[in-house]
Amino acid sequence: MTLGQTQLKRLEQYKDRWTSYGANMGILELSEKPTPQVLKQFEIFKDYDEKFLEKISPDISLALWRSGTVLFEEGSYIDLAFFIVSGTVEVYLQKQQVAAPIFARGRTQVFSGREEASSGTPARGEGTMYRPIEPKRGGKEITFLASMDFDLPTGTTLRLSAGDILGEIGALNGWPQSATAKTTSTCQLVQIRTAALRLMRKRSAGLKARLDKLYKERTLISQLRATPFFRGINDSFIQALAQKVELVSCEPGEVITTEGAPADAVYLVRSGFIKLSQRLAEGNIVVSYLPKGSLFGEAEVLLDGNAAWLFTASSQEYSELVKLAREDFRSVLAEQPDVEALLWEAVAARIKEAGYSKRNISQSEFIARALDNGLVEGNSILVIDLDVCTRCDDCVRGCADTHGGIPRFVREGNKIGNFLVARACYHCEDPVCLIGCPTGAIRRTDVGDVVAISDPLCIGCGSCANNCPYDAIIMHETGELWPPDMIPEGLRGKEKVLASKCDLCYTDPAGPACVRSCPHGCAMRIGDVQEFKSLLWKEAG
Amino acid sequence: MKRFLPLIPLSKLVRSPEWAKASIIALGVFSTMYAINALFFEVNPGKGWGLTYGWVAAVLMFGAGLYAARRRMFHRDLGRSKVWVQFHLYGGTLGAVLVLFHTGFSLPNGVFNWLLWGLAVWITLSGFLGLALQRWIPRLLTSGLSVEAVYERIPELVQQLRERAEKLVASCAAPIKDFYRSHVAAALVAPQPRLIYYLDVTGGIQSRVRQFDFLRRVLPTEEKSKLDEIQLIFRTKLELDAHYSLQRALRWWLYTHVPLSFVLLLMILLHIWAVWYY
Repeated sequence: MTLGQTQLKRLEQYKDRWTSYGANMGILELSEKPTPQVLKQFEIFKDYDEKFLEKISPDISLALWRSGTVLFEEGSYIDLAFFIVSGTVEVYLQKQQVAAPIFARGRTQVFSGREEASSGTPARGEGTMYRPIEPKRGGKEITFLASMDFDLPTGTTLRLSAGDILGEIGALNGWPQSATAKTTSTCQLVQIRTAALRLMRKRSAGLKARLDKLYKERTLISQLRATPFFRGINDSFIQALAQKVELVSCEPGEVITTEGAPADAVYLVRSGFIKLSQRLAEGNIVVSYLPKGSLFGEAEVLLDGNAAWLFTASSQEYSELVKLAREDFRSVLAEQPDVEALLWEAVAARIKEAGYSKRNISQSEFIARALDNGLVEGNSILVIDLDVCTRCDDCVRGCADTHGGIPRFVREGNKIGNFLVARACYHCEDPVCLIGCPTGAIRRTDVGDVVAISDPLCIGCGSCANNCPYDAIIMHETGELWPPDMIPEGLRGKEKVLASKCDLCYTDPAGPACVRSCPHGCAMRIGDVQEFKSLLWKEAG
Repeated sequence: MKRFLPLIPLSKLVRSPEWAKASIIALGVFSTMYAINALFFEVNPGKGWGLTYGWVAAVLMFGAGLYAARRRMFHRDLGRSKVWVQFHLYGGTLGAVLVLFHTGFSLPNGVFNWLLWGLAVWITLSGFLGLALQRWIPRLLTSGLSVEAVYERIPELVQQLRERAEKLVASCAAPIKDFYRSHVAAALVAPQPRLIYYLDVTGGIQSRVRQFDFLRRVLPTEEKSKLDEIQLIFRTKLELDAHYSLQRALRWWLYTHVPLSFVLLLMILLHIWAVWYY
């Protein structure tokens, strides 16, 4: 029998469709929401009472996986950890991977050529409306954490068996998986979603210690080695240090340090955002924020005679930190006297910024709004200068025309100053929309930080749209029905709905259609919050 | 005054200084040429320099008209829209001036020529009116309004506000219900464009919202918060009205310019054919 073009295409799609986590093709048996009695049989749940297990059970499933099934792939985002009950899983690297700093320049370059990046604020009318995505942090950042969750040399394989946990570091930190995991025998796995894992870790000191130990063994040492601050330090020192550090997990809003309280440590932010605030009159104002890869507490250590926190630091979202005791930090400085000069620069910049925020309350308001609205996450934010915009909607029309009649953004959103932050994908640094996509349809492309959806792989489950905190993903009806051979079977014959979002027109060398189509030059792509801030300040004169 | 005529910085008024400079230079060159021509000869629209001005004007006007076609081909990489708009503005204006050079600043004769001339003047003036509106209204909208809305969605947003208000009022005490019925309900029925917003984008809103103040004084604390919410809904609705009124001008203006532009281009073609034929 000869297959038609359409059938061949579908077969090709099916081949790729289920390689990411969520495929039920590799699952022989699946039991969701197990009872506390069932959970109690597994060692990982033995510390918890039945009431607690009942509470977290909706986020847990038991699955029997066929041998040779890929659980997750390198670079994929998953929102669960696997606990192996029986069977073996091998973990390996498919690509050459090193513990590169998170903010490596090469990863964030996009659209080279036509309009080269210029420094400072883009000046309208000078051909700089659209800038290539720039790395968010400057070259003087001295603290980088790598996104490795398995410290594996390329070409080697790690075999995990009953009692082991995998996937938890990526899931808890929102990082992409750095290795591929594949079952090598029929495996019974307990699948624990991130929300349940966080609660379990909070409730049980034993589990926290175990996860921390795994993190230290699998990741931390390689991360510290790749961190410029520790780069010149010998291995034995790093290994000793890795054992001494404390791993801190924070919930949204959790206060980490309080201004004026005794300062006893230095923190490295490994995921999330930390908000720094200071007292002003009767209240607190936000003076700065710290993204992953930042260090804080160094000012308190470096400033002689100061033993109190200069800032109140609180977690903006779920954050993971590495806590380094004051004495340990000092010992690192003693080993690396050159680093101190760089640290002083960072301290001076932060204190200067804090002072400026206190004198200019609008700067503080802007930082707070940037944090609340997620602008700090963005690598490419679509902003529209409302002072110039004639509301002609050509930006939306241009987007729709380029994408088969369906616009990928809405000209609505938050207003900051005279700028509208349109509801378009920010192409986040940590794209939570990628988490839990059952087919891997939504992914980070090879072009810069662009996050795009592959229509042939999308099954319209809405997982990405639900995950996106900024409502930047639109579910649209296509007016068609899913074909009779559709997988999953449940969709067959139902109305075909697809997710769509801005992909920055990354395949078009001319750049994003929204910016290109704006007749007044008021639609711009902003690479980061600093750029937005300078734009606002320029407007304000 | 700021609410009526917000100060527009020169950078926002003239968005492409390069285009402005190039146009001024071109205008200077053509004006000098015309002055020399007019000094020594009588400018004849059908011959020599007079005819040349006419040809250049026609080319510029057709070039300016191509912007309409570009707006229907966003998916093609035809350069940035902004560049097309600049050509539309400066090229179109220069074209209009060259029409005057073409006719030697004399009034046309014959019905057809009068129509052609009249349309060219109308299109140019309506173009300038549009330009003025496009520079003035966006700034007016941002100077005094806190909400931003897509014009086409305003009726839907008003309906949502009304539903929210009515749900809230249902749980309120009698004085609020009465006040809502007499002072608020009618305003929430549909978008209400009003001319006042052209004169003062915020003034009308402030005074209408002030109606709530007296009632607030006599209400118990728990009812006050409900009244505050109704007030916010009312205020938002009035701001949407301002958007509706002002954005409508930005859209309706196009009807005075675009359809007749096509007529003008057709008549120019006819004019060229007639001159060539006869």
